[in-house]
Amino acid sequence: MIFREVEDRDLIAKARRGDVEGYNLLVSRWEKRVFNYLLRLVANREDALDVSQDVFLKAYQNLPKLDDPAKFSGWLFRIAHNEAFSLLRKRRPESELVGDPRAAMERGLLPVELSLAVESALGRLNEDQREAVLLKIYQGFKFEEMAEILECPVSTVKSRLYTALELLKTALAPGLVRGES
Amino acid sequence: MSCNEFDWKGYALGELSKSDRARAEAHAAGCASCREELAATRLTLDALSTLREEEVPRRIAFVSDKVFEPRWWQRVFSFVSQPTFAAACVIAAAILLHGFASPKVDQQTVESIVTRAVADSRQKYERDMKAVLEQSQQEDRLAYIQNTGLVRQ
Repeated sequence: MIFREVEDRDLIAKARRGDVEGYNLLVSRWEKRVFNYLLRLVANREDALDVSQDVFLKAYQNLPKLDDPAKFSGWLFRIAHNEAFSLLRKRRPESELVGDPRAAMERGLLPVELSLAVESALGRLNEDQREAVLLKIYQGFKFEEMAEILECPVSTVKSRLYTALELLKTALAPGLVRGES
Repeated sequence: MSCNEFDWKGYALGELSKSDRARAEAHAAGCASCREELAATRLTLDALSTLREEEVPRRIAFVSDKVFEPRWWQRVFSFVSQPTFAAACVIAAAILLHGFASPKVDQQTVESIVTRAVADSRQKYERDMKAVLEQSQQEDRLAYIQNTGLVRQ
C-alpha cells in the first residue's frame, strides 16, 4: 500500500506536468476498483461504466486542485460518490429485487449461490448503507477516510455501516443470529 | 443479545485500538452471547468477501483519447509552466533589462574615447622609451669615467 501510494504520487506529479502516459497508468491502476464500487452502488453495468468514465475525466480535469497526492484514493472515491449519487437522484425509485437471500442461505449454498445471495442482500440495503459497506468491506477505507469521502461525521459513517451489517447478518448468517435459529 | 459496551463490529473490522481489543477479548472469554455476536459478524463478513471484483467490460477512455485531449490554451499553459522555459525567459529578460538600463553611447563618443586611449598609450610608450634611453646613456657615461680614470692611474 505504501509503495502504491509512492508510485501514485509520482504518476500524479507526472500527470500534472502534462504527461499523458502518467495519467493513463493511474487510470489502469484504479479503474477496476472504481468500476466495481460504482457497479455495486448503481446496480447497472452500463451506468457504472459511464459513471466511471465521467469520474476519471473529472479527476483529470481537477488534478491540479488535489492538495495532498497521498489522499488520491479518497479524493477519487469522493468524485465517484458524487457522480453516483447524482445519477441515483435522477433515477426513479428502484424496483423490488427478486429472491429472498435468507431463504437461499438456509438451503446451504454453493459459492456461486452465496455470491448471488450477497448481491441480493446488498441490493436490499438503502443506498447510504450499501455505500458504507462498499467503502469499508470492499475498498478497505478507514472510518475517517470514509467520513471525508461521504462528507459526514464518523459517527454517521459507523451508524450506516453497523445498521447495514445488522441487516446483512440477518440475511446471510440467520442461523447464528440469537433467537432466530 | 451481546453486552452493549463492546463494539464487536468494530472489532471484526479491525477498527479497535490495541487496548480495546485486549479488553474485548478478555470479556468474550467469559461471555457466550458476545462470542456468538462476534461469530455472526465474522460469518457475515466472510459471506460478503465471496463477492468477487468484476473486470471492467471495456476500457475507460484514456487521456490519449480525443475526450481527454487538452485544449490549445491548456497546452500553451503546460509548456509555459515548464522550468526550462521559465529559466530561458528569465535569462532573456535579464539581457533585455541590461540593454535598456545601460547608458546610451553614440559613435562619436566611442571614437573620441578610442582616440584618447590610443594617444595616452603612445605617450606612455614614448615616456618609457625615453626613460630607458636616459638610463642607458647614464650607464655609458659612468662606464667611460671609470675606464678613463683607470687609464690615468
